[in-house]
Amino acid sequence: MEPHDSTRTSFGLRAQAIALATRVDPGLANRSYTEGYLAQPLIMAHGSALDGHLGGVLTLDFEGLTLDRGQLNPGAYGEGYADRRHPHTYLHEAIVVAAGAFGRLGVSLAGGKGFVPFGTDDPMTRPFAAYPVNHHLAQILERYVAIAAASAGPLTLEGAVFNGDEPMSPGAPPDASRFGDSWAVRATVTPRSMPEFEGSFASVTSPELVTGGGRDQRKWSVGARLAQPFGLLDHALVEWARTDELVGDVKISRFTSILAEASTAVLGATVSARFENTTRPEEERLLDPFRFSRNPTDLGIIGITRWHIGTVAVSTPLPARRVDVAPFVEVTYAHPSEELTPSGFVPQDFYGTASIWSASVGLRLGIGKMIHRMGRYGAGVPNVRSPVPSGGQHAH
Amino acid sequence: MGFTPRAFRGPLVTLFAAAVAGCGSDSPTGANPRTGAPLPVVGHGETTVRYTAELWTRGTVAYTSTWGQRSPTAFGNAVYIWNVAGNTPVMVDSLIVENATTLGDIQVSDDGTLLVVATERANGSIVIYDLTNPLAPTRLTRYETVNTSNGVHTAEVARLGGTLYAFLSIDPPTPRLVIVELSDPRNPREVLVRNMGNPFVHDVFVRDGLLFTALWDDGVTIWDLGGGNRGGTPANPVQIGNVRTAAWSPSAGGSRAHNLWWFHDATGGANAKRFVFVGEEAPGTGSVLNSSNGDIHVVDVSDMAAPREVAFYHVDAAGTHNFSVDEEKGILYAAYYNAGIRALDVRGDLSACTAAQKSSDGRCDLRKMGRELAAGLDANVPTFIWGVHFDGEFVYASDMLSGLWKLRAASR
Repeated sequence: MEPHDSTRTSFGLRAQAIALATRVDPGLANRSYTEGYLAQPLIMAHGSALDGHLGGVLTLDFEGLTLDRGQLNPGAYGEGYADRRHPHTYLHEAIVVAAGAFGRLGVSLAGGKGFVPFGTDDPMTRPFAAYPVNHHLAQILERYVAIAAASAGPLTLEGAVFNGDEPMSPGAPPDASRFGDSWAVRATVTPRSMPEFEGSFASVTSPELVTGGGRDQRKWSVGARLAQPFGLLDHALVEWARTDELVGDVKISRFTSILAEASTAVLGATVSARFENTTRPEEERLLDPFRFSRNPTDLGIIGITRWHIGTVAVSTPLPARRVDVAPFVEVTYAHPSEELTPSGFVPQDFYGTASIWSASVGLRLGIGKMIHRMGRYGAGVPNVRSPVPSGGQHAH
Repeated sequence: MGFTPRAFRGPLVTLFAAAVAGCGSDSPTGANPRTGAPLPVVGHGETTVRYTAELWTRGTVAYTSTWGQRSPTAFGNAVYIWNVAGNTPVMVDSLIVENATTLGDIQVSDDGTLLVVATERANGSIVIYDLTNPLAPTRLTRYETVNTSNGVHTAEVARLGGTLYAFLSIDPPTPRLVIVELSDPRNPREVLVRNMGNPFVHDVFVRDGLLFTALWDDGVTIWDLGGGNRGGTPANPVQIGNVRTAAWSPSAGGSRAHNLWWFHDATGGANAKRFVFVGEEAPGTGSVLNSSNGDIHVVDVSDMAAPREVAFYHVDAAGTHNFSVDEEKGILYAAYYNAGIRALDVRGDLSACTAAQKSSDGRCDLRKMGRELAAGLDANVPTFIWGVHFDGEFVYASDMLSGLWKLRAASR
C-alpha cells in the first residue's frame, strides 16, 4: 500500500516475513539440527496527522506464534533463550509522537512501547536472517518508554526513561510499575555525505530479573552506519558496544562487542558480509538445553563465552508487482571459546567442537512500503525536517 | 579405563593440597592469606562428571548433590552416596532424579531416617528418601505442587514440637516460603505458603521454635513458630524482628542474606545464644567457579525484636557460602568458594573489640580480632567450595569442581 502524501495526514502499511530453513552443525553435543521457520512475521503501520505534528507507529510481531521454540542461531542469547534467537513480543512497537519545530530546531516527545534510544538499528532491519550475538548489548527494545528528542542541523539528541525489565514472553507486557527505573541518552551526528555516527549510554535496572533486585547494567554504544549508498556499498555498519553488570555500584562482569557489516551489489544480487567479536554471559541451562533460567543462581553467571562469527549472505530480489520477493542464502561460521577459567560453561564440551557452521536458505517476502525507520521516532530520526511524521526514512 | 591425565589428577591434587597446606601460601585467587593453622587434608573423593553442590554426612556415609550442566549429558540430577569410613571418601552409589537439572540442598533428618533433596528450576520439588539402609536410599515420594514448581532453591529440615517439617525457599518470579509437614513422609502436607524475600527468600534456620529467614536484600527476619511467645505456629509465623546486614563492599549496597546459623555455645554463658551468623553471597568479578564475594556477618539477637549486626569477617576477592558449626568447641566452618574453607573462633563476646579492631562503621572485624583459627583448601589448587559439614573429628567439604574432601577438624 502506498503511503498517502498529504500535508494533513499520511499513512503507511507493510507486511513482511522471512520463510527459511536453517541447518546448524553442531547445535549442541555434536548433533546437527535442521529446522524451518516463518521468522519476523510483521505488520507495520505508521500514520501522521495535523501536518505531521501528531504521529504514530505500530508494529505487530507474530513470532510468538511461529517461533515459540526460538530460531536456531548459534551465539544468540537473551530472554531465556540461548543459541536460539528468542521470539519478540506481539506488540513490538506502539508509539505516539508529538513533534514541532522552533526555527531550525526540531523537537518531539514520543511515548508508548517500543525502542529505547540506545545503540544501533535493530537487526530486523539489516540484511541478515541470523541475529548477531550482540543484540542485547547493542539494542534495547520492547519497553514502555518516553522519549524527548531534539534535532538541529547534523546533530540529533535523544533522552528517554523506560522500564528495565526485559520481556518475559511474547504476550507479557512490561511491568508498568517499573517504568522510569532506567534511562538512556543518544547523540547522532550526520555530517553531509558522511556516515551517520551515534554514541549512546543506558542505565538499565535489573533487566533479567523482572521482579527487580537483579544485576543492573550500564551500557555504552558507538556506531557508524551509511545513511545512504556510498560508492560500492549499499549498506555498512560498524559498531562497538559494552555492557557492565553491577551489584550496587560494583562492577562484576563486562561484555563487549565489535561488529562490522556491509552490503554491495554484484551482478544483480546483494552480497552482504558480517564479522562479529562478542562476549556473552552463560547461565544455567534448563531441561531444554536451548533455554536458560531467568532466575540466575544467586545472581551469578556460570561463565562468559567469546564468539567470533563471520556471516555471508547473498540475496536476489525477484521482479514482482506489488510484492517484494527476495530469495537468499546465508552461511555462518562461529568459533566460541570460554573467556574465564574454570568456567561452568565450556563451549567445546557443550557443543562438541569449537567450530560451528550454520546455513540458511529462504525467501524474504513483503508487501507495502514503509517510511518508518524502526527504533527511532520524531525528531530522533536524523536528517528529517520537523515537524515530522513518526519516522522519516525507508528502512525496509 | 585408559591412563589419562584426568584419571591421574585426583591423587595428585590430594598430595599437592596436603603438601602445600603446611606452607601457608597465598591463594591463587588473590584471597587473603590465612592467618591461622592449616586444616590438614585427609582424603579426596574425586568426581568430575558433574558439578558437586551441597553435602550432608551422618556417621560413615556422606551424600552430595549436583548442580548445573557440566556436559551435554551431565546435568545436576544426581545424588552421590559416599562411604567416608576411611581416609578417602569412596563413592558407592548414586541416585538420579528424573527431569531435574539442579539439585540444591540435601539434608538428613535429625533421626537419620529420611534424606530430603531439593530440585531447582522447572519441576521444582523435594524428593524424600528412606534411609533404612543409609548406603541405599529408597525413594518415598517426590513432592511437587504449583507452589514449588518454580524451583526449590533450598530445603531445610527441622523438628518443631516433635514434628518434622521441611522449609522450602521457592525461586522467583513469586518468591515464597513453603512449609510442609513430614509426619507421613510419603504424603507431605503443606502448612504454609507465604511470599517473602527481595528478590527471593534464599534459606532458613530453625531452632527452639524460632525461624530465621535469609531474605536477600530484605536482610534477616526472625519469626515465632511457637518458641517466641508471640503466638506463632508453622502455619502462621509471627514476625519478631528484622535486620539488614551490611554489604561486603560499601558501594555494593543491599544485604544478600544467603544462609544462617543461630549459634548455641555448648559451654553456656551470657553469649551462648546471642549470635546469629549470616552468610552473604554476592557475584564475583567473573563467574561462578572462578570468583565470589560476600562476608560473614554476626548479628546480635539478644533482643530478638531489634537484632543488630555487631561484627563481620571478610576475605578479599572471595565470598562465603554455607556454614557448619562445632558448637562444642565454638568453631564456625565456612565454605568460602575460591578461598576454600575458613574456621573461626566464635566463642565469647564477638561484639567486644578494640577501636583498632573495628571497621569504620563500628562493627568488629573478626580477622583483626584474631578469630581466624584455621583454613583449608585455599592453596594452589583450584577449588570452589560449596558446602562444609562438621562431623566430630572431621570436616567434609563439597568442591564444585572435584567432589568431596575430607579434612581434619580444627582444634582450639
